[in-house]
Amino acid sequence: MTVSTGGSANLGAYRVAERRERWLLQSLVVPGLALIGLIALAPIGWLFWMSVQGSSGFTLDHYQRLLDESYLRTLKTTFELSILVTVLSIALGYPLAYLISQARPRLAALLMLLVLFPVWTSLLVRCYAWLVLLQRRGVVNSWLQDMGIIDAPLKLMHNFTGTTIGMLHIMLPFMILPLYASMRSIDRDYMRAAANLGASPVRAFWQVFVPLSLPGLFAGIIIVFVLCLGFYVTPALLGGGRVYMWSMQIERNVTYYADWGAASALGVVLLALTLGILWAVGRLIGFDRIVGGK
Amino acid sequence: MVAVGLQATASLPISIRSITKRYGAFTALDAVDLEVDSGEFLTLLGPSGSGKTTLLMVLAGFIRPESGTVLFGERDVSLAPPHKRDVGMVFQNYALFPHMSVAGNVAYPLKLRSIPKAEVGRRVREALELVQLGTLGERRIDQLSGGQRQRVALARAIVFEPRILLMDEPLSALDKKLREEMQIEVRNLHRRLGLTTVYVTHDQREALTMSDRVAVIDGGRVRQIGRPRDIYERPDSRFIAEFIGESQFLPVVLRDGAAWLDSHRLAVERPPPTAQGAHLLVVRPEKLTVLPAADSGHGLNLFEGTVKEVVYQGESSLVYVSLAGGLELSVRRPSRGADAVPVAPGAPIRMGLAPADVVIVPAELHP
Amino acid sequence: MARTIRSAVSISVAALLLGAPAAMAQDKKVLTISSWGGAFQKAQKEAWFAIVEKELNVTIKEDNTSGIADVRTQVASGKPTWDLTTQGAYSCKLLEKEGRLEKFDDQTMKALADIPTALGRSDQCAPQIVYSVAIGWRDKAYPGKEPPGWAAFWDVKNFPGQRSVRKHPIYALEMALIADGVPMDKLYPLDVDRAFKKLEELKPHVLVWWASGAQSAQVIKDGEVDMVAAWNGRIQALESEPEGKGGKIKTTFNQQILVSDHWMIPKGAANKDLAMKAIAIMSRPEVNARISNYINYAPSNSKSYDTGVIAKEKEAGLPNSPANAKKGFIQDNQWWVDNADAMVKRFDAFLQR
Repeated sequence: MTVSTGGSANLGAYRVAERRERWLLQSLVVPGLALIGLIALAPIGWLFWMSVQGSSGFTLDHYQRLLDESYLRTLKTTFELSILVTVLSIALGYPLAYLISQARPRLAALLMLLVLFPVWTSLLVRCYAWLVLLQRRGVVNSWLQDMGIIDAPLKLMHNFTGTTIGMLHIMLPFMILPLYASMRSIDRDYMRAAANLGASPVRAFWQVFVPLSLPGLFAGIIIVFVLCLGFYVTPALLGGGRVYMWSMQIERNVTYYADWGAASALGVVLLALTLGILWAVGRLIGFDRIVGGK
Repeated sequence: MVAVGLQATASLPISIRSITKRYGAFTALDAVDLEVDSGEFLTLLGPSGSGKTTLLMVLAGFIRPESGTVLFGERDVSLAPPHKRDVGMVFQNYALFPHMSVAGNVAYPLKLRSIPKAEVGRRVREALELVQLGTLGERRIDQLSGGQRQRVALARAIVFEPRILLMDEPLSALDKKLREEMQIEVRNLHRRLGLTTVYVTHDQREALTMSDRVAVIDGGRVRQIGRPRDIYERPDSRFIAEFIGESQFLPVVLRDGAAWLDSHRLAVERPPPTAQGAHLLVVRPEKLTVLPAADSGHGLNLFEGTVKEVVYQGESSLVYVSLAGGLELSVRRPSRGADAVPVAPGAPIRMGLAPADVVIVPAELHP
Repeated sequence: MARTIRSAVSISVAALLLGAPAAMAQDKKVLTISSWGGAFQKAQKEAWFAIVEKELNVTIKEDNTSGIADVRTQVASGKPTWDLTTQGAYSCKLLEKEGRLEKFDDQTMKALADIPTALGRSDQCAPQIVYSVAIGWRDKAYPGKEPPGWAAFWDVKNFPGQRSVRKHPIYALEMALIADGVPMDKLYPLDVDRAFKKLEELKPHVLVWWASGAQSAQVIKDGEVDMVAAWNGRIQALESEPEGKGGKIKTTFNQQILVSDHWMIPKGAANKDLAMKAIAIMSRPEVNARISNYINYAPSNSKSYDTGVIAKEKEAGLPNSPANAKKGFIQDNQWWVDNADAMVKRFDAFLQR
């Protein structure tokens, strides 16, 4: 490489060098982008394409079929269950996350371990564990009957209730983790300031702590709700065959009818709904707040 | 001056009696007694870990002491929870609520007190005007500069007309220039509102600038309390002399009601302490005068030596001098008029210390 | 000497790397067969595959299938990895309709002659085993009472308790019609409206609509339900297991629905000729019969019971033994191939209502 000695002529060389460096750095992302494009975007594109393919080219038949009563019912069930599980996971997860965030470090670590423990256990194992506990002749019913608290066994499994319990158990960590992260980042001085300004502990909690924990709460809601929308195993195992989820319709279309078109259309609808919800929530509270911006 | 509704309300004195707080084996506050007069600006000054912030937290109610009493006026608040103490507080990091606007932050304590909406609006406006933020009410907190946040925190702390204001190193996050401006402003605000103010800082200059009185705290105890001038000019221990300002120490011996530096009897204005034995003479560099050859230095305590080094520092120079017997002293000379008596390394030098500036402290750090 | 050892080592290393069995080195043909896995595939291996390997001098490579979708995907790829696969009768008929299977040659068809056509035998589907959908019940729930048939399944007065039925219309409709009084030989074409109306009666008493064979066994074993309509092999297997909370479980073949699993060759299979030969071997009565000695499934070849391979006491537990076969009926796969889509949709709507 030649060194230019003429003062300002260097400028061009610097620019070239700078540009080359920038290109080099940016090219580092190419393998990552290619992989994401291949394993994430390509299948989605394929999904869209298949959802509008009929035996004779382009068709919207697959979407039209979704207006069928049984699909609409499934959609309703899917949303009802997802909303219910999300609401319950807030009701249980918020106090738990609060407790952990306020506990002393060692206790907090222990509690966190207990929260995370189920995540490391197989989904199937957890579902069967609930079955053993809550079915008609399960541990809980036998115990309640032996104690004379109930005469006939409670119907806790093989229905909507059982599915809700099972899904709630699986979803709870996904609510607690972002909540906990959000709560931990709330400076103790905020609560002190609120108290100093005259807020009782209860008011300080509702007026200062809760609003400041909202980013974590929204993140939790989105994660739990979106995961619920696509749930399959738990409703299939604990629902007694009654709880129809959108994902089951997809599975049914593929395995029984070999109808990739219909299954793709179902997938596209679920994806669109999910994105729609994300978009709406993002518009409502600002997406950067959820993913950890300001 | 802007006409404001925030009046100098009757402020309250504070009585701190024998407050002790321990963390395990560590004693953060060791039977602290302190009286703050009504309307007084008292600064708690001390190095980090001295217990000054702990004491402020005890006043705010965030920390419960093991023993002792705190009175606000006649009211014993020792057991009162923080939200029932009615004291304003400015936090080190301001603790402004990010989910509320500027006006929302300032209005919050008023809303908690169920003050009618119209009055809330008026008082928020007045408080913001008082801290010169009249137009920024609708801003979000994260849109403010450090100085602006400081002002909002101040407005929020006084808007509900507390009778006592606590400030925990409120200016430490600001840059030097802004900090000096705010020092004056806080001081003026205090004058106008007449609030009993307890101010915590580790910055001695800030303490000296702002306070009516300064309480120097170390090791969980109040080591000296007094007007800034007294604290600076008349430190009563080696610790205070070292901690505040530049000090150098020369060994002296107290004997027969006089102070002796080697065989020289020091000329003093006030009689030296009655104790006997080894003590230290506190010499601040700016208290020494470099004497011209012609000046006999009559009536001054004289020090003779050789100039070791001269360090130019802008508005003044610091001259390092070797004394006989291996001792060293430094003397500060204002740049203006320094030419009258030139000094150069290696040259002999004679310095005088007025009897009024003689300060003698015990040799131990904390007597 | 050292050289030999080294080359031996390198060969075995190569074999390990390729994951190839030692037999490959001898240039044997490899026949790839897929099946349901688990105990059933193990039984197939011992009863049939060992004999096929010996007679055809081939190596059988085993794989698992989870159903019809696998075959569709493989055939769609143009180069199926399987030469032979096990699928349900209905699936086989469906694949046949879709043109995704190889046709058997004459010799193979001749070998299948003694397998009843009613099981769904065709020139593309070779029934290999027979099982049935039968009633299983908890002995404690109805001591000393054997349900005479599907009417009892519906009769919650005399047989009170919870029920479990497959979450699919494929057996439920037949069960319902028989319970409603339709004779077993006059079922097809199914009176769908009547069947769903009858199912509506049973619905409140069905605690679990089971989705897998394992689940059907679990709910009766744990005593969650008192009566189940499930595959006979699943319920009978419980008899040899330690009792669960449900106590002793019994089975009856009364009004059982006989169904079968078939062999089929995915279109384009590399070794389809060998695969056909394998089918012929496994369909021979004395070979076909062997399966029942390893698992509770019945042979598809009618002559299997004459070979003496199956012990008399074993025969009593097999659904299509001469004595048991007449208690039930064989399901009409063709009707289901033509109607399954509509039925599944209607059934889904029925369950969700």
